[in-house]
Amino acid sequence: MAIAYYPGCSLHSMAHEYDISARLVSERLGIDLREVTDWNCCGATAAHSLNHKLAVGLNSRNLNLVKDMKLDKITTPCAGCFSRLKTASLELGDPAMRESLQDLGIISEGAEAVQVEHLLQVMLEEVGLDKIKQNVVKPLKGPKLAAYYGCLITRPRAVAQFDDPEQPMALDNLLQALGAETVPWSHKAECCGGGFAASDTAIVVDLGGQVLEAARQAGAQALVVACPMCQANLDTRQQTIEADRGQKYGLPIIYFTQLMGLAFGFTPKQMGMQRLLVKPNQLLALHG
Amino acid sequence: MAMVDYYRPLRLNQIDSSLQEEIKRTCGVDVELCLECGKCTGGCSNAHIFDLTPRKIVQLVKLGDEKRLLNMDSLWTCVSCQLCVDRCPSHIDIPRIMDYMREKARKKNVRAQRESIEIFHELMLDSIRKTGRVAEAPLALKHNLRTRQYFKDAELGGRMFFKGKLNPLSPKVKNVKQVKDLFAQTIDKKEG
Repeated sequence: MAIAYYPGCSLHSMAHEYDISARLVSERLGIDLREVTDWNCCGATAAHSLNHKLAVGLNSRNLNLVKDMKLDKITTPCAGCFSRLKTASLELGDPAMRESLQDLGIISEGAEAVQVEHLLQVMLEEVGLDKIKQNVVKPLKGPKLAAYYGCLITRPRAVAQFDDPEQPMALDNLLQALGAETVPWSHKAECCGGGFAASDTAIVVDLGGQVLEAARQAGAQALVVACPMCQANLDTRQQTIEADRGQKYGLPIIYFTQLMGLAFGFTPKQMGMQRLLVKPNQLLALHG
Repeated sequence: MAMVDYYRPLRLNQIDSSLQEEIKRTCGVDVELCLECGKCTGGCSNAHIFDLTPRKIVQLVKLGDEKRLLNMDSLWTCVSCQLCVDRCPSHIDIPRIMDYMREKARKKNVRAQRESIEIFHELMLDSIRKTGRVAEAPLALKHNLRTRQYFKDAELGGRMFFKGKLNPLSPKVKNVKQVKDLFAQTIDKKEG
């Protein structure tokens, strides 16, 4: 199964461990991820915040590159990139937008036909839980996990067209297939503060703090994410959040692909577990 | 147009529907469908710090009070979490209205009260315009300099550096001319 792979800017820097683990587990499952040749940034959140056509254009260029690779589907591990790529794909359904971007030399005929899926969606819908279970050699025995979806994997529903935006279960089901226990909790689809980590840190400390507190109250000992922005906000700002709320959390924020890798028998080092700021020691000790 | 108190029932002679129609035409979002139920504000991630909440924002679009919409702080603290549109029984795409009003504020040179957020957006777009991509570390550093917060996150930056999380290199798209042209034809285009 060949799918165009769009890592996005974060996976080439801060979220390198997400990139490595995504590639390794995909390969194990027989998914042939081919990085989009000469891809550009999706622009989130600056581009759509300031100019609609620029945002659609940037992502349409990426869709067009996929078409040039003779592939019909693109996947990305980032929720922000997923949302922007899929929004563009839907906007290209409008003939006026399509013609205008063709006139600018950004796209040619057929770019609108490229399908967009988040990597979690590929795992659930293309690979399937049965095949994932078959690849588990070392079931995840460890602390209770809170599956955290954040905003853009399932919202807005007209764009994402994946899972339930209020009570999503895709990630819970995946983690359970790996042998893990997930907790029911209130904030699985609340916002972590998104792209405001540098520009207005207080917003991330506030919203991210609510997410961590809800996970703690539900008895979770680690959070599992499917977005580099969620990971960065909850991991890198956790010390500040702890100081702000006067509450120690010590909650590791782990990418779902890292846990798939551990269950498939890859080592913690291969999965880049050492790169997380809040160390997942308890999980690794229990997993063995 | 006189300032209208949006807490009172609408008075037809105080309404200017031009903004409402403009948003319907350009964004395909029809605020006439608003039921005033308040689900948008109830779900909003940041309503507690907004000067104007989503329900009031929709109301102000109906009233045509463009001035207040362009100057509100909420325009820049909206986290685009998409809760409002998903919970709206009429599916009114409020995040799209926010994007549209921000675009309009820029065209009219109305700067954000919270300059830090607008500057961050601009620096990010500068990076994409020049290289086609964004490198997080240089972007954060430039933002600190521009907003005169020279030591912001210095300690965190150090911890991240030792985890190998900061890539000092700026990646570049080969066909960056195509990206530059797109900027020239959209956000950088001067209105005729």
